[in-house]
Amino acid sequence: MTDNREGLTTAPARPGDGPAAPTRERPFAGRPARSRRPRRRNLRRTVEAYLLIGPSLVGFLLFLVAPILGVFALSLFSWNLIGTPQFVGLANYRRLASDGEAWHALTNTVYYVLLNIPLQTVLALALAIALNRKLRGGKVLRVLFVLPWMAMPVALGIIWNWAFDPRSGVVDHLLSLVGITGPNWLTSTGWAMPVIASVNIWQYTGYTMLFLLAGLQAIPQHLNEAASMDGVNAAQRFFKITLPLLRPSMFFVLVTNVIGSFQLFDTVFVMTQGGPGDSTTTMNYYIYQQAFQFFHAGYAATLAIVLFALILLVTAGQFLYFRKRTVYDFS
Amino acid sequence: MTTTAIRRALLYAVLLGGALISIAPYLMTVNAAFKNTRSLFSTQAWTPASPATFSNFAALWSQYDMSGFLVHTLIVAVAVTAGQVVFCSLSAYAFARLEFPGRDLLFWAFVATMMVPQIVTLVPLFLIMSHFGLIDTYRALILPTVFGTPYGIFLVRQYFRTIPMDLEAAARIDGASTWTILWRIMLPLSRPIMATLATVTFINSWNNLLWPLMVTSSERTTVVTVGISALQGQYASQLNIVLTAAAVALLPLIAVFLLFQRHIVRSIALTGMK
Amino acid sequence: MFNRVQKALATSLACAGAIGLTAACGSSSGSGSGGTVNLSYMIWDSGEKPAYQKSIDQFEKSHPNIKVTIEVVAWAQYWSKLQTAAAGKNMPDLFWDHQAYLPQLAKEGIITNLADDIKSSKVDTSVYDQKLLAEWTNGSTVYGLPKDWDTIATIYNSADLTAAGLTAAQLGSLSWNPTDGGTFVAALQKLTVDQNGKHPNQAGFDAAHVKQYGIALEAPNGQQDWWDFGVQNGCKLQDKAYGSWTVNSAACVQAIAFEQDLMYKWHVAAPGTVTNTPNAASLPQILAKNEAAITFDGDWDLTSYQAALPAGGWGVAALPSGPVGAGTVYNGLTDAIYAGTKHPAEAWQLEQWLASAASEKIVTDSGTVWSGIPSLNSGFIAAWKAKGVDVSAFYTGAQGTTIGYPLTLSGTAFNTVVLKDLNQVWLDQMTPKAAADDVTSVANAAVASGS
Repeated sequence: MTDNREGLTTAPARPGDGPAAPTRERPFAGRPARSRRPRRRNLRRTVEAYLLIGPSLVGFLLFLVAPILGVFALSLFSWNLIGTPQFVGLANYRRLASDGEAWHALTNTVYYVLLNIPLQTVLALALAIALNRKLRGGKVLRVLFVLPWMAMPVALGIIWNWAFDPRSGVVDHLLSLVGITGPNWLTSTGWAMPVIASVNIWQYTGYTMLFLLAGLQAIPQHLNEAASMDGVNAAQRFFKITLPLLRPSMFFVLVTNVIGSFQLFDTVFVMTQGGPGDSTTTMNYYIYQQAFQFFHAGYAATLAIVLFALILLVTAGQFLYFRKRTVYDFS
Repeated sequence: MTTTAIRRALLYAVLLGGALISIAPYLMTVNAAFKNTRSLFSTQAWTPASPATFSNFAALWSQYDMSGFLVHTLIVAVAVTAGQVVFCSLSAYAFARLEFPGRDLLFWAFVATMMVPQIVTLVPLFLIMSHFGLIDTYRALILPTVFGTPYGIFLVRQYFRTIPMDLEAAARIDGASTWTILWRIMLPLSRPIMATLATVTFINSWNNLLWPLMVTSSERTTVVTVGISALQGQYASQLNIVLTAAAVALLPLIAVFLLFQRHIVRSIALTGMK
Repeated sequence: MFNRVQKALATSLACAGAIGLTAACGSSSGSGSGGTVNLSYMIWDSGEKPAYQKSIDQFEKSHPNIKVTIEVVAWAQYWSKLQTAAAGKNMPDLFWDHQAYLPQLAKEGIITNLADDIKSSKVDTSVYDQKLLAEWTNGSTVYGLPKDWDTIATIYNSADLTAAGLTAAQLGSLSWNPTDGGTFVAALQKLTVDQNGKHPNQAGFDAAHVKQYGIALEAPNGQQDWWDFGVQNGCKLQDKAYGSWTVNSAACVQAIAFEQDLMYKWHVAAPGTVTNTPNAASLPQILAKNEAAITFDGDWDLTSYQAALPAGGWGVAALPSGPVGAGTVYNGLTDAIYAGTKHPAEAWQLEQWLASAASEKIVTDSGTVWSGIPSLNSGFIAAWKAKGVDVSAFYTGAQGTTIGYPLTLSGTAFNTVVLKDLNQVWLDQMTPKAAADDVTSVANAAVASGS
C-alpha cells in the first residue's frame, strides 16, 4: 500500500493507473500536477470532495473545533462556571508549573499507559490469532470476549470493587484456594493502579481483538499457504508476513488505544475516585476534579492543554514509527 | 492423543478460561439482579440467588421509568448510529481516495481533536448548546456526534485504504463517477467495517454518561445511564436496583452486537479481485 | 457527473433532515399550555422521592395552575450539575441545599434571600428548630426554611449484641477515654471475635484474622466518625463559622488518635482496608454481613438498614460519651429557591408549602426524615416504632451537645484533603498529628485564597 502523501512508492505501477493516481511516479508530489490536467476536472474533484466531507466538516467545526478553541481561550481566564470569566493571562500556566499534584497526575497517567497498552495489545493479538481459525464455538467465544466492553461503567465499578474486597471478594477468595493472601488491593497505594489497569485490560482486550481480527481476516490466505509450502515455519510466517500486513489495523488500534489510555477517567471515577492517596489520580481525573469539584474551569482548561500536548507528542511518535515501515501490496 | 489434539485441547482450555473471566462479572451482575437487598448483602457475590426474586425487575418498571429510559436511549443511539455510518463513509472516502487541497491538513486536524480531553470540551460545548437553546433536548444529545466523529472517520478511512485501488481505477476508466464508485464498489466491500462502526457507535452512545448528565434534566430526555446513576445515593445506593438496571440495559447491546457480528468479522472471503 | 454528486448531496441532506425531524419531535417545550406554570424541583435522594411526590401531589391539588416535576440527580453529580446548570441558565426552580455547599452558592448569588418573602407572607418562623434556622441565616439573609434535620447515632446488629451478652440499654450508656478506652472499648472487646472465637483482651487473639469487629466506622469527611468523637472530646473544627480550620488542635487530634487506636491498638474497629471510602462496602452491608457488630451512622440510612437486615435484627442506641460529654453532629437541609427563577411567586408558594407543617408531616410520618418543625418529630418516631425500631436515640442526641456542619468556602479543598489523609491514618500509614496538620494547612490555604 502506498502512502500518497509522500509520493513514496513500493508497488509497481498497475494497469489502469490513469488520472486517478497522478502522484505515483512523482517523488515529491503531495499535490496533483495541476499544470498537466484540465482545471475544470480538478475543480470538480475538489468540490466533490468538499461536498462529501461537508456534513462532517460542519459538525467538526461546530462541535469539536469551537469547544476546543474555547478551551484554549479558557486557559487564560479564571472562571467558576457561574460568574464572568476573569482574564488572568498566563497565571494558570504559572500555577501549573508549581503544582505538584498535576505532575503526579501526569506520572500516574504515563504509568497507567505503560501498564495497560503493551499487555492489552499482546493479549488482543494472541486472542485474534487464536480465534482466526475455524473453531467450534468460535463465534460464541468471540461474543463472550467482547462482552466486557459493552458494560456500563457504573455497574462495573460496583462489581469490581466487590471482587477486590479484601474480606469477601472473589479475587482474594480464588487466591486463597491456592494459598496466597492477596494484598489490600484498592486501599494500598502500590496496588490500586495495577488493579485499575487490570480492570481496563479486562474491559478492552476483546474490543481490540475485534479490530485485529478484522485485520487478520483481510490478509489473503494464499500468502501464508504459499509460504508454508516453501517451508517457512509458523513463527517466521507470523513475524515476516502476518505482522507486517497487520500494520494498518495495528496502527489504528495502537493510536486510538493510546489516545484513549491517556484520557482514562471512567474506571477511576467509579472505582477509586483518585485514591488511595493520589495513586490513581490520572490527569483526566484531576482535570475533572478541578473543573467540576473545585470549579476552577480556567485551570482545568490549562491542564487539558498540557495533556493534549503530551498525547500529541506520543501520537506523532507513533506516526513516525509506522510511517517508516512500508507495507506491501497484495497482488 | 496426538500433539495437535493436545494443542487444540489446551487452546480451548485457555480460551474458555479467558471467556469465563470475561463474563464472570456479568454473571455476578445478573445473579445480583435476582437477589433482594438482604441476601445481596449477606451472601457472597458468586453465591446463586435463592430464593430468586423478581422484585427488583418489578421495582425497576413500577418505581422507575426504566422503559422510558430505554426508549430515550434507543432513539438517541439509533439516530447517532445512522448518521455516523452515512457521514463517516462519505468523509472517509474523500480522505482515503480523493485528491483535494487541504486534505491531509484537515484529516490530521480531525485526528488531533481526539487527543483533546473531552472532559473540558464538555463545558464550552454545553455553553454552545445553551446559546442555541438546545438544553434538555434530543438534538443536544444527537447533534454533537451524528455528523461523524474523528474516530469513525479514521476507522473507515483506514479500512478503505486496504481496498485495492485497481477496482476503482478500472471503474474510473469506464467513466464511473465518484458517487457510483462509492455506492457500487466501496460500500458493498465495506460491510465489515460498517458493521463495526455501527456497533461501536451504538454502544458508545448507549453508555455515554457525562454529556447526557450535563445537558438533560427532565424525565422526557433521561437516558438509561443517567437514570441508573440517579439511584446511587449519597451514602448508600440501592445496589440491587442499580445492578438490575445495568443488567437490563446490557441486553439491547448484546442484541445489537449479535445482529452485526457476522458482518464484523466476515468469514474467510477475499476482496472482489480473485 | 454533477447530477450524481448532487444526488449524493441530496441524499446526505435528506438523512440529516430525517434525523433532524426525529430529533425535533423530542424537543422540549418549557412553557405549559394556558396559564400553567412548570416548576422543577431538584433532589439527590431517590429513596426520599416517593414521600416528596406525595407532598407535591397535595400541593398541585391546592394549586391547580402549578405543575411541579421532581428531578433526582445522584449526590455524586448533584453539585457539579447545579453549577453547570447555573452556567447554562438552566437551573431548577427549587433544589435541596446543604450546609457544605451553601457558602459557595450564596457567594455566587444564585440563592434567593427569603427574608422579604417571609415577612410579606407572615411566615411564623418560631415553629422551626431555632438551631437549624440560625444555621441557614446569615445576618438578615435567610437562605431557606428548615425542612429536615439529621444526626448520628449507634446502629447495632441485635444478634451480635445478644451473642456477646450485652443489652441495647448498656450499649447506649457507654463512655470512652483516650487512656484505657473506658467502658466503650470494654464493650467492643466483647463484640470483637477472631476466627478462633477469642476476644482482643484474651491471650492468643489473632488480630490478623478477625471474624467480626466490634465496630465499623466509615465516613468520607468525618461526619459519622471522628467529628463525633471530636465533639465528645471538646474538639472544634473551626475557630468560628467561615473562619480558620482548627483540626490540628489537641482535642481534635486526640479524637482522631482514639479512632486509630480502636483499629490498631485495641483491635476492636475494622481497619481502613475494610472501611475506607469510596471502595468500601456500605455500613448497612457490613452490619448485615456480620463483619461488625455496631456502626455509627446517620438517620438518613435507616431505610437501608431496614432493607439489609431482617426485622428485629437491628436497633438504634445512643453514641458513647467522651471525656467532655455526649455529642453528635447535627445537620439539616433546606429547599433553596434559584435567584434567577422565572416564576418567583410560584416558587415561593412551593417553598412555603414544603416548609409547612402539613408537608413536613407527610414526609416525616413516612419515616423518611426528621422534620424541621420540632412538634412533628414524634411522627418519625411513631413511623419507625411501627416498623419495630426505636429511633429516639437520634432525637435525644440532637437535644444534647451538637456541632453543625462547618460553614466555609473551602469545602471542596477540605473534603478532598481530609479523605486522602484520614484514609492513610485508618490504614496506619500516617500519624493523626501529621494528617491533622496537613488537613489544616491545606484547608486554610484554600480559605485564604478564597476558593
